Amino acid sequence: MEQVTNEQVLEVLKKIEDPDLHKDIVALGFVRNLRISDGKVAFEINLTTPACPVKTQMQEEAIKRVRALPGVSEVSVKMTADVRQHKGLDTSALKNVKNIIAVGSGKGGVGKSTVSVNLAVALAQEGARVGLLDADIYGPSIPTMMGKSGETTIRENLIQPKTAHGLKFMSMGFFAPGDKPLIWRGPMAHRAIEQSLSDVEWGELDYLVVDLPPGTGDVHLTLVQTVPVTGAVIVSTPQDVGLMISMKTLRLFQETRVQILGIIENMSYHICSHCGSREEIFGHGAVKTASESLGIPFLGEIPLNQAIRVRSDEGYPIVLAEPSSPIAHTYREIARNLAAQVSISNYASPKLEIVEEPA
Amino acid sequence: MDIKESSFFQPKELRKKGNKEFRILWSDGHESLYTFRRLRQNCPCALCVEEITGRLILDPDSVPQNLEGLKVQAVGQYGLRFDFSDGHTTGIYTFKHLRKCCPCDQHPNQTLRT
Ligand SMILES: [Zn+2]
Ligand SMILES: [Zn+2]
Repeated sequence: MEQVTNEQVLEVLKKIEDPDLHKDIVALGFVRNLRISDGKVAFEINLTTPACPVKTQMQEEAIKRVRALPGVSEVSVKMTADVRQHKGLDTSALKNVKNIIAVGSGKGGVGKSTVSVNLAVALAQEGARVGLLDADIYGPSIPTMMGKSGETTIRENLIQPKTAHGLKFMSMGFFAPGDKPLIWRGPMAHRAIEQSLSDVEWGELDYLVVDLPPGTGDVHLTLVQTVPVTGAVIVSTPQDVGLMISMKTLRLFQETRVQILGIIENMSYHICSHCGSREEIFGHGAVKTASESLGIPFLGEIPLNQAIRVRSDEGYPIVLAEPSSPIAHTYREIARNLAAQVSISNYASPKLEIVEEPA
Repeated sequence: MDIKESSFFQPKELRKKGNKEFRILWSDGHESLYTFRRLRQNCPCALCVEEITGRLILDPDSVPQNLEGLKVQAVGQYGLRFDFSDGHTTGIYTFKHLRKCCPCDQHPNQTLRT
């Protein structure tokens, strides 16, 4: 029986393209550790995120194509991932954080924090190392949603983030213990945000999700001027007013030239908790239309559902509490779309070149 | 401002001239020539300025005349970070901020620290 060669295997794998990066997986250097013996072929496909939307299809296609080669009796493909690092993230205490993703909204009440929590947990469920920072100085709600409150501990001068549901998290709420409402004055808020980024032992993370306070406030600016932000996600509701205000937030990020990774429509339609029937909410689809006209990726739409809220209040994000529900499925899909946009942004955007010339 | 107009804050060429000067050629053709001293004086970080009140913490006159820029690093697509000879490195300068700090006299409405 003729023996299959490395070249033949790579040749057929070149036909597989990464749908986000628009290059074949061989050219992208995704194929690793190729071994052939006695007609048995084994290799790894190393993706740019464990939350890749097409992971399974890619694996199946690779097996099918290699299996079709003459002389191949068995194919084993292991799917692995190394999240690529955002360019410019190499200094300070955050040096092992590969990507910082800001989640913003134009106004409060659009369910942004619930979205941030569920996306962060969904990314962790896919196998990524995830951190979550609740930077909402007006009403930090994430400790409740994560089922952990109270003060944080300090070790070797670094604040220890809390861990729950497979991720590390930190909240502005931890800086003001007790039930006292937070009244931050500008400079204080600024300091607290800075501290929660650089004085926290985040360790190694693929994604740090930062839940920003609503509005076009200064926290955005503090964030981008303090740490290298990979990109921003905007959460909006279908109602026109919400959308208009979201556009303002969007512009704020565009003005600072921070990459917009995408928009999510939240409270997009209603699913009846009794019969599961779907009911459209006025204005549904407006966010998608707007994102298309602006040329910004639309990451998905999340229904309005009582269970999401109840589960959040109980400290169990819905993606964990009801992992097989349609909503959890939607969240995981959005998380994969988001991870894909991060990979695209890190892969496609050229590093700004700085020319050095002698005086 | 839509995406196209934001080219106003888009750099076309970044050039470090020795350790004294830094030049940005913008997409709209404007050119900004900074001394590293001036960039240091306009550091946006929390140690140098109170973002919200705008109150300066750093006294601009305290920055030595001979201050140098040792290293310039890009931060994603949106900004730059400088290593100054006084050891300060904490500020990320967005291109919007850099455009605002342009030292030429064509931007009369700006409040600058010089
Ligand atoms: Zn500074
Ligand atoms: Zn100028």
